[in-house]
Amino acid sequence: MSLERGLDVSASHPDRSQPQVERSGTPAASTVEVRVAAEAAQLAVMRAVIGDLAMRADFDVDTIADLRLAVDEACSSLVRLAAPESSLTCRFRCDGDDVSLSAEVRSAEAAAPRKDTFSWRVLSALADTVTTSVEPAEEAGDNVVRIDLVKGRTGHE
Amino acid sequence: MKQADSSGQAAHSRNQRYDELAPLFVELASVSEQDPRREELRSKLVTEHLPVAEHIARRFSHRGESQEDLTQVATLGLINAVDRFDPDRGVDFLSYAVPTIMGEVRRHFRDTGWAVRMPRRLQELHLSVSSAISTLSQELGRAPTPTELAQHLGINRQDVYRGLEAGNAYRSASLDELLTDTDEIPLGDAIGENDSELAEVENREAIRPLLGELDERERRILVMRFFRSMTQTQIAEQIGISQMHVSRLLSRTLAWLRDRLETEAPDEPAEPKDG
Repeated sequence: MSLERGLDVSASHPDRSQPQVERSGTPAASTVEVRVAAEAAQLAVMRAVIGDLAMRADFDVDTIADLRLAVDEACSSLVRLAAPESSLTCRFRCDGDDVSLSAEVRSAEAAAPRKDTFSWRVLSALADTVTTSVEPAEEAGDNVVRIDLVKGRTGHE
Repeated sequence: MKQADSSGQAAHSRNQRYDELAPLFVELASVSEQDPRREELRSKLVTEHLPVAEHIARRFSHRGESQEDLTQVATLGLINAVDRFDPDRGVDFLSYAVPTIMGEVRRHFRDTGWAVRMPRRLQELHLSVSSAISTLSQELGRAPTPTELAQHLGINRQDVYRGLEAGNAYRSASLDELLTDTDEIPLGDAIGENDSELAEVENREAIRPLLGELDERERRILVMRFFRSMTQTQIAEQIGISQMHVSRLLSRTLAWLRDRLETEAPDEPAEPKDG
């Protein structure tokens, strides 16, 4: 339960809180998967990844900033639901005109995050579409709770 | 800048007072060292710009230095800025003075053992990107992209990325914050107190008192973004701060709300509500 474990994500601590990053796909539509301990202190990595993707895809600065906020909000909700000692996994995808995030945790809860909350309101304002789902996990009794969101390039109307 | 009429008014009036002093710098540059008029101009310029120094000093006041010391250090920076400013270089005095004053205050913190961690080069990048966002937003009528920022600034995109990221990575006060005059934000806009805006939000009973605890400015920004569908750039323009500053404030406010909601009104996701 050391605090440092949750805070330092860039140093080379060989423990499980070290984010694990996998890249795949073509440059045009690459998927980045990042897994960290399901703790609030780990979310900086997720913000950084989505910010970086959106920036390099040349999204406008409002969209980049909104995506960071959205990831923070979505992941925070999930971390709150996560089973103790479990992981938060985010899959980021950028395909030309859209950035999407699929974030999931293992949870003892059988319900998805509620949609009538302030938090959901925030998410809906930040992303173009937000959806959530729950399905049974491989571990007996647990569920995988997921939030998916997509945000496109702002139309230059 | 002239054509940015009504929407740019707030920002304009804030700097107008200082803009009017610009001719004095031209005059100061032209009078000889021996001319008594020189000392007169110099003190007038320093005195008139003192609020800038005081404002910067105030912004650092939470770091454990006495306000008096900070103001003194900032004023020294201001005097240096007045002495060294060259009106022929085409930048306005504030753009030159603020970094100079900040530098003085930072040096003071460094000397007294307080580290302000953002490296100077990064800070400069951050600031130029920040002000380019505001200029380009006005020109384009929307938020610019990193490529547009790079073109506008004549720097490469990697540097734009670094400048953008610096705003997220460092919490040290940046110039845009230093120049923000919270006192000038009109109060009592009745936003966030309006029930209809929270009508669809089930946990509004928990939210409302929290919104009440927020700074007026932070509440306005929150409501503008999430209940009025304004973009961060539009909010920045309306409030008179930078887009990156809006972004940081939103991020901080949301995190604060999440914390408070969690501690005061724990979620019960599995329980369906009664009727």
